[in-house]
Amino acid sequence: MNCEEFELALPDVDDDPTIEQQSHLNSCSACAELVADLDAISQQAKLLGSSDEPSPRVWNFIEIALRQEGLIREQRSEPFLVPRRPPRRRLEWLIPVAAMLLLMLGIVQYKRTSGPVASRTSNAEMASTSQIADAAYIADDQQLLEVVSRRTPAMLASYKANLQDVNSYIRDAEESVKMDPNDEQARRDLMNAYEQRSMVYEMALDRSLQ
Amino acid sequence: MMLNTERTAGVVIFVALAGTVLAGAETRQQLHFKVGRKASVSINNQYGPISVKAGANKEVVVTTVLHSDKVEIDQSHRGNRVDIVSHLFSGADQTSGQVDYEVTVPADANVTLTSMTGPLHAEKLQGDVVMEGNTANVDVRDVNDAHVHVKTLNGPVTLTDIRDGHVEITSLSGDVFLISVNGPLVQVNSSSGKISYSGDFGDGGEYVLTSHSGDIDAIAPSYASIDVTARSVQGQVENDFPLEPKHTAFPIKAGSAFAGTVGKAASSVKLFSFSGKIHLKKR
Repeated sequence: MNCEEFELALPDVDDDPTIEQQSHLNSCSACAELVADLDAISQQAKLLGSSDEPSPRVWNFIEIALRQEGLIREQRSEPFLVPRRPPRRRLEWLIPVAAMLLLMLGIVQYKRTSGPVASRTSNAEMASTSQIADAAYIADDQQLLEVVSRRTPAMLASYKANLQDVNSYIRDAEESVKMDPNDEQARRDLMNAYEQRSMVYEMALDRSLQ
Repeated sequence: MMLNTERTAGVVIFVALAGTVLAGAETRQQLHFKVGRKASVSINNQYGPISVKAGANKEVVVTTVLHSDKVEIDQSHRGNRVDIVSHLFSGADQTSGQVDYEVTVPADANVTLTSMTGPLHAEKLQGDVVMEGNTANVDVRDVNDAHVHVKTLNGPVTLTDIRDGHVEITSLSGDVFLISVNGPLVQVNSSSGKISYSGDFGDGGEYVLTSHSGDIDAIAPSYASIDVTARSVQGQVENDFPLEPKHTAFPIKAGSAFAGTVGKAASSVKLFSFSGKIHLKKR
């Protein structure tokens, strides 16, 4: 099994992969990392309780991203004369989804730090969430940069630098919020930083898909 | 020396000839669309400039120069909406895929411009202006009573003479210059780009200039009427205005924050940076 075949079978890879899939995972660090990242995102997504339901805007973002990727589209009323070939599934659709999940994670973290409840959140819990988020950021950024280098190589250096900038902004803002959860400006900075990160992803994918 | 001169002359002639051939490959088109009041005009051009100005009422005129046959113009006109897209063919790059746009729209049209390289320019409009570019240089001037929303990664943004605007700018590393910009909301969110404001802050708006590591300079006349709060977590702040003290939600540490009012404090001014310098200067 090669990477492409593994990617095609990825939605079916669960806790109990086939021998062939497991063998590929053992021999391919890139796919193993990908599965680990998806697990991490999935775990974080489960932590998003119903009380932390994101706003309809976030769902709209996800829908737009999926629509742009062609994964969902309007129902066509006219019959097909020729059966359509199913579109080849590519891993790029995971990038906007992962980015949106991270944005949701950011919003949840923002919500958790924005009220009196913040003081009950332990530093260790915050640090753990940050570390998971950092790891997920690195993996996401890597995938995004791969897409950019393939589609618009001239922009690669610019996106790389901007992602570094914005990640540094997020880290600093998170530190500030940790130091004083009641600091309104620090919380606003954190939201600004997340918005900027989301904008970089949106622009990279929007441009790359044209 | 003579040989070098001849070689240089040869190169110049070659470049000139190549330029003529390339110029020959350029195609000029003009498109006309009849529209009504408050039309929506959207232009998406991956590579190349877009310039929009107010023109005749009820008509949108789009003049394009295509730099090669690796790009074509897709157009759509439905009701009061005009959508123009530069459609790149396989193998098109920044040079061959370039299209230059010059557009006139009714002054009240709402305009959305997108370009990766730009530059993007709009002037003398009274409708909403939305601009988005990666490295595009963004320049908006003489816009009244409208939303001006700009998103860039690296491109510098200059807004001049925006009156009663609802201004929102997000820029990562591009510098942002606001000259005589006022309105109910003026908001700039930058990561490493500098933010420079020069104006009187109007008479009742909210001005929020935020950066991560970029410096923020605000220059206002002595008659400005502002309620100002400035703070840099790791950078320095400086203020040339005599301020009436006011209560703040955070402790004022000399050199890293200041807050107070000037005159009747009609407009709220918030200048925040994480590590950039902030300077409120008197003109």
